[in-house]
Amino acid sequence: MLGLVKGLKYTLKNLTKEKVTYDYPNKPLPLPDRFRGIQKFYPEKCIVCNQCMNICPTDCINLTGKKHPDPTKKGKIIDTYDINFELCILCDLCTEVCPTEAIIMTNNFELAEYSRDMLFKNLEWLDENDENIRQVNKP
Amino acid sequence: MIEELLQSSPGWANFGIFFLLGAVLLLIVLGFVTYGILAERKVLGYMQLRHGPNQVGGKWGLLQTVADVLKLLLKEDIIPKAADRPLFIIAPVIAFAPSFMVLATMPFTDKFQFADIGVGLLYYIAVSGLTTFGMLLGGWASNNKYALLGGMRASAQMISYEIPLVMSVLGVILLTGSLNLNDMVEAQKHGWFIILQPIGFVVFFIASIAELNRTPFDLPESENELVAGYHVEYSGFRWAFFMLAEYVYLFAMSALITVVFLGGWLAPISFLDFIPGAVWFALKFSVVVFVYIWLRATLPRFRADKLMEFGWKVLLPIALANIFLTALIKSLFF
Repeated sequence: MLGLVKGLKYTLKNLTKEKVTYDYPNKPLPLPDRFRGIQKFYPEKCIVCNQCMNICPTDCINLTGKKHPDPTKKGKIIDTYDINFELCILCDLCTEVCPTEAIIMTNNFELAEYSRDMLFKNLEWLDENDENIRQVNKP
Repeated sequence: MIEELLQSSPGWANFGIFFLLGAVLLLIVLGFVTYGILAERKVLGYMQLRHGPNQVGGKWGLLQTVADVLKLLLKEDIIPKAADRPLFIIAPVIAFAPSFMVLATMPFTDKFQFADIGVGLLYYIAVSGLTTFGMLLGGWASNNKYALLGGMRASAQMISYEIPLVMSVLGVILLTGSLNLNDMVEAQKHGWFIILQPIGFVVFFIASIAELNRTPFDLPESENELVAGYHVEYSGFRWAFFMLAEYVYLFAMSALITVVFLGGWLAPISFLDFIPGAVWFALKFSVVVFVYIWLRATLPRFRADKLMEFGWKVLLPIALANIFLTALIKSLFF
């Protein structure tokens, strides 16, 4: 009988307590800085070393490079860079392996689309994905 | 006014007036059901540290139930092939009609009552017992074992708990000397029966939760054991009828507790008499409904084997002892 009163008191107290829910679609979720969200890509930083493509466990990254337009400079610059988000598991390996921090995780995670083709994100899209970028990108 | 109408000669005008009054009461009750469901969801939400409906109809979700009911009414009317068709169709009607019929005798204020029956309380309990029949029929006609189990549980539970319900209220009847609900309210001028009959009130309240199939006693429609109990196979407006019956009973039972134990439309202290009776009734009524919702948020479901034991071995003896005690007190002191 006493437990009953205890329970009733507890629920009555909860009535005015602060709610634990988030107002999610209206306000963005507060996420930690190490959250693994959709990558942001900096084409100007990329040196086309192919490490991200090689380390990717699901083979979702495809990239091609081309010769540097300035003939006096050595090396390549990026030509196309695609991530297939049907396959990507957001494992963070590509950003960890990148020597120039050309690819970095963000806190964006909303990937729902009406068509599977829309999940195929190209260089321009990943370049424009420049909100909520991870602040410190050290492993 | 009703008294005159009841005694006037029958005719179309008479019929029309009664029909109109009945329709008005139905609209009031539907309004209560709409906002009662919303209030329940809101209070449950707040007690579980969340907000409850807050999307449809502004910040408070005021149109949520309206939208839900609209969706139910627009749904396809599905009758399973193996179901007993006529019984399947008539079961929700049988379940709902008594819940509205019992309201006829309820004295909301000293003026606002439809039928001042001499045996008002008996009428309420007798007619409300019919709903069990609708639930059992619905469960049986669905031709589904979960529905049948739910229907059996519903009838077993409601019949068992009706006995302590009646027995606990006998103390009040002994003190009033009448079964008329108006007389009961008048008898509470000098003290509510919740103070004079505390044991009777507790037993009545517990039994009434069981009668309403609400949470500590919601075995007939336990979602996670019997899918949904007797109304598994029902959908759309037929299901809405079962739901409606449940909430109209919540309305009726809260009104009955207000009338029998909380002094109906009377003010708690005599100098507060200037506030109209309807306001007092609404206040007490709301408190009772809130307590029902509060209990639902707090207590888990009863175990099926403990349910019958609790009804027959605990509530019934306490109720009988209460009658004995009341009779003793009445013959010694009154």
